[in-house]
Amino acid sequence: MLNQPVVRTIAAIALGAIAGALSRYYLVQGLTQMLGTHLPYGTLVVNISGCFAMGLLATLFLGPVITVHPDLRLLLLTGFLGSYTTFSSYELDSARLLMEERFQAELIYWGGSALVGFFSLQGGMTLANWLVNQVERHWFG
Amino acid sequence: MLSPDFLPLWIALGAIPGAISRYYLTVILTEWTGGEFPLGTFLINLSGAVLIGFWATLLPAFSPGTILNGFIIVGFLGAYTTFSTYALDTSNLLKQGSYRRALLYGLGSPVVGFLGVEGGMALAQPFLQG
Repeated sequence: MLNQPVVRTIAAIALGAIAGALSRYYLVQGLTQMLGTHLPYGTLVVNISGCFAMGLLATLFLGPVITVHPDLRLLLLTGFLGSYTTFSSYELDSARLLMEERFQAELIYWGGSALVGFFSLQGGMTLANWLVNQVERHWFG
Repeated sequence: MLSPDFLPLWIALGAIPGAISRYYLTVILTEWTGGEFPLGTFLINLSGAVLIGFWATLLPAFSPGTILNGFIIVGFLGAYTTFSTYALDTSNLLKQGSYRRALLYGLGSPVVGFLGVEGGMALAQPFLQG
């Protein structure tokens, strides 16, 4: 069964999604217990760390240093990181802060998630490019 | 199966169709539109925002337990929508020099998603009173 491409695609995404969604759930639970519910810290940390990992892995997988099987790419990027990070909870959290009339917190969380997520992704890409350069210099230089 | 001990199982059962429908919707929409604009992820995140506004308003009234919340909100909608691909798409549009598209997508996603949640919450209201 696993030699059929469609089955492998679905299995890879499903395995990544289970791990991604459960790590998001447990991390949000843990961070909420540690830091409280003043701001939705859990979803914030999940989304920002997921952006960093996405920048790092997407760049590494495109580069010449690491070759990954397309199924592993689906498992890690589409399955795991796609499910680990979430857009719907981020928007729900924003709407709830607005309903509580906490306008400053709303603006910081809503705008900050998008902005810091973007720069975190750039950070992951920069690290990937640096790693690729190091490998090329030491092994092939 | 309905005891809170099985919550991780329900989250996993929601996450599987969530991620798979995200993948196939993205593939289909990219084929249709040529992929110049990341319409797939845009529409997924927008529809996911409407759905979370709807269900997060309805669920506490009808099912105080955590099982449906885990299945629909944490599992399905959490995995269906994605933040990391949104950031990656924005970055790719910038690198291609499509500054207008990057601005439209990068800024438009959070704005439209926010309005989507509000719309979903409004859609749920008639069911609460009924």
